[in-house]
Amino acid sequence: MEGLFVILTPLIAFLIILAFGRKIGDLGSGILASVAAGLTTIFSLVVTLKAIHNPIHIKLYNFLPIDNYTLQIGFYFDSLSSIMTLVVTFVATLIFIYSIGYMKDEFGTWTFKFYAYLSLFLFAMLLIVLSDNLLGIFFGWEGVGLASYLLIGYYHKQKKATNASFEAFVMNRIGDWLFIFGIIYTFYLFGTLDIVDIFAKVESVDKYALGIATMLLFGGAVGKSGQFPLHTWLPNAMAGPTPVSALLHAATMVAAGVYMVARLYPVFEATPQTLKLIVVIGAVTMTMAALAGAVHSDIKKIIAFSTMSQLGYMFVALGVGDEGGAMFHLTTHAFFKALLFLSAGAVITAFHHHLYDIFKMGGLKKYMPVSYVAFMIGALSLAGVVPFSGFWSKDRIIASMYEWSGVLGVIGTIVAFITAYYSFREGFLVFHGQERWREHYGKEVKEVEGVMTVPMGLLGFVTVLSGIFGLWLEHWYVGVIGGEEKGIHLSVAVVSLGVAVLGIWLAYAVYVKEVIDYRKAYGALKAIHTTFKEQFFTEKLYHNILAGGYMQASRYSFKFIDRGIIDGFINALYKNFFSFVRFLWKNLDIKIIDLIIHESVLTAFRVGKISRQLQTGLLNHYILFLTIGVVVILGIMLYILDRL
Amino acid sequence: MKTIPLEAFLVVSMILFGLGVIGIIARRNLVTVLMSLELALNAVNIALVGADHHLGLAEGQIFALFIIALAATEAAVGLGIIIAIFRLKKVESTDEISELRG
Amino acid sequence: MGKLIIFGFFSLMAILSGIGIITLKNPVYVVVALLSSLIAVAGIFFTAGAELVGALQLLIYAVAIAIFYIIVISAVPWQKAKKSETHHRFEGLISLPVVLLLYIEMIVVFLLGVKASPKGEIAKFIEKIGNAEVVGAILFSKYFLAFEVVSLVLLVGMIGAVLIGRKESQTYEDDTT
Repeated sequence: MEGLFVILTPLIAFLIILAFGRKIGDLGSGILASVAAGLTTIFSLVVTLKAIHNPIHIKLYNFLPIDNYTLQIGFYFDSLSSIMTLVVTFVATLIFIYSIGYMKDEFGTWTFKFYAYLSLFLFAMLLIVLSDNLLGIFFGWEGVGLASYLLIGYYHKQKKATNASFEAFVMNRIGDWLFIFGIIYTFYLFGTLDIVDIFAKVESVDKYALGIATMLLFGGAVGKSGQFPLHTWLPNAMAGPTPVSALLHAATMVAAGVYMVARLYPVFEATPQTLKLIVVIGAVTMTMAALAGAVHSDIKKIIAFSTMSQLGYMFVALGVGDEGGAMFHLTTHAFFKALLFLSAGAVITAFHHHLYDIFKMGGLKKYMPVSYVAFMIGALSLAGVVPFSGFWSKDRIIASMYEWSGVLGVIGTIVAFITAYYSFREGFLVFHGQERWREHYGKEVKEVEGVMTVPMGLLGFVTVLSGIFGLWLEHWYVGVIGGEEKGIHLSVAVVSLGVAVLGIWLAYAVYVKEVIDYRKAYGALKAIHTTFKEQFFTEKLYHNILAGGYMQASRYSFKFIDRGIIDGFINALYKNFFSFVRFLWKNLDIKIIDLIIHESVLTAFRVGKISRQLQTGLLNHYILFLTIGVVVILGIMLYILDRL
Repeated sequence: MKTIPLEAFLVVSMILFGLGVIGIIARRNLVTVLMSLELALNAVNIALVGADHHLGLAEGQIFALFIIALAATEAAVGLGIIIAIFRLKKVESTDEISELRG
Repeated sequence: MGKLIIFGFFSLMAILSGIGIITLKNPVYVVVALLSSLIAVAGIFFTAGAELVGALQLLIYAVAIAIFYIIVISAVPWQKAKKSETHHRFEGLISLPVVLLLYIEMIVVFLLGVKASPKGEIAKFIEKIGNAEVVGAILFSKYFLAFEVVSLVLLVGMIGAVLIGRKESQTYEDDTT
């Protein structure tokens, strides 16, 4: 029963805010959404404790009978989904609380909508996590897409934000399109959409057909998690409010792709070709995103690229067969990524949304100590430094990559180095060095208020705590989820720790000590810099070549085919037809038809003039005519009767 | 006993009907036109009764009864109309009622 | 033979009265001719054995309807009746050949009909129980609906006649003002 409360509480909060948001007020809506999320967390904690060893399967009701399969609405709590629920709801609760402080500047402009969307977002994500059938997951999948569209475009007066929301929606749509075909094909193969039934039947299905189905399903995950071919929306989605970014990256949206693959892992496991594809895509994404993050200057976009990179790690882990590692990294990543976003949001709030460029900041350490500490904890964790949670999960993934292939492991190590570099590059540029922001921002900067610092502190605490007890946590987590048990791989751990420290040192040398002038270095390496920044021009490719090319092609086809050929044809047709009609009118119409009509009218008139003489109006005459008529008709009848 | 032949009834009926028709056509006075109409109706009654007599049936007499009833109605309504026309136009001759003239 | 003579007498009387109806000038004479004709037709009915119809013919026609006509004639002032022109002579002359043609056609129809008609089956039955009972029995069983409809028609005709004949100049004036 708690299971139902888990999924229904955010929905109820959403409906209440939607219906009575204006009456409750913006602050009230925020508190309501946060309380609902908190209740959901408590419920999910209860359910997790129950379900972690004995899966709970709740069947609500029969939704749609299809042939000999009945689609049921139901929820499935096993160790994977319940722990995921717990993580999602916990992180979401903290972000909801934080957002009350973040959106304070916006209060009075229908901000309750924001909280309604947040609750909807949480509900949709829980639907993905907890549904026991693929169609339920798809409903949640679409709900997440809708909520992210609404939230990314929340600042709908900015062109940038609306474009970003459009882009996110379109890119997700491509992924969803693949996903729904994957679901259809899976249904075709298995004859059921129920996850548990599908797991039971995996062995009995043709492997190649299953490969196609899993590739289609993975296409959905690519779109939702911002992986390589469909990744451009993720950095642009930073146009939304920062809590949305945090929620999007930490708990709800992008995690859905990884989670979906992990959820259906028994199916994916049976198709090695799809796993190879997942590895390739994950590796490409993680490298490209890390390089892009290393050169970008937007405070939020760097973190967004780091998310892409870390998601790439997770997909690689899934691809190489380390499901437990991927899920563990997803969990730890949720905490420290939320932490990073929240502290970045704190910085943005401190500047009242005026500054986003990290090169225009600096020296914020003494003004915003809490945010500084929070950011540093997140960055250390992201970089994979030893006592923090990121170390354990990332190290495990890199070790799995080495096991799979040496080249992949080397790529993983290099990306870990870049990760450490860019996360501390951002940290040092924002919090250390000169106070460059004084040239751009006139007022003083001060630490954000408690409603924002408390969630940051809590998240930081959890991150540190999970780091200190990381080894045991990993052991327990993987044991519960059911992945492969792995000890710590000492040489890999030392190497990745070494590259992380090296990356941090490099960032420190360049951006704090300034041993070389980084501005000149950027100028010298402009080509590489731009290439990295534009993610190897993929976004330009999509925007200019695909979208722009389509526009150009449409314009040319309009100019030549439409204007030239079709319009010309129509114009010629129209002119010829017109002259033909004019000719007809002059000759046929006036000379023949009009004459006939005129004559016939005249004839009718003359005949009427004569025949009206018969209408004398005298009763006797009428009777006489009647009698004559009777005589004539009777005569005809008799004549015919005689002939018969 | 020798019965009256059907032909005799029919001939009488025929002659009376013709006389009625001629009366309707030729009379100028509205009341006499109506009277001629009564004559024609009676002719039809004779034909019906004669056929009955010939065939040994009773249906014809029933129709004759109906015709008598309808004739009574017709006389009542027709005479009412005549009085109304007279009251309205102060005429009682057919050649002065020619509103239907084309 | 005697019946035939009576029939011939009444027929002659009816035809002569009919000629009187269409030729006489004074409307009062015409009414008298009509009355004579109606009585003659009733006589024909009696000779044909249709006692009920004949009696009703005398009662309704010869008494009720004839009195109608007399009342109307006496109610309307007949200045025009004194006029010599009481007939449409031209139309009357045209109607003669038309009616003659009608006669010829009717004769043809009668000849065809008489040839085709069967002889009576229930004539004996009629003789046994009498004409009025038979007609009544058939009228109130087989033709009961028609009978009721006719009674309704009579009622409507009565109301209509009253309405039409009503003095209504008063109401017209009320409407126009």
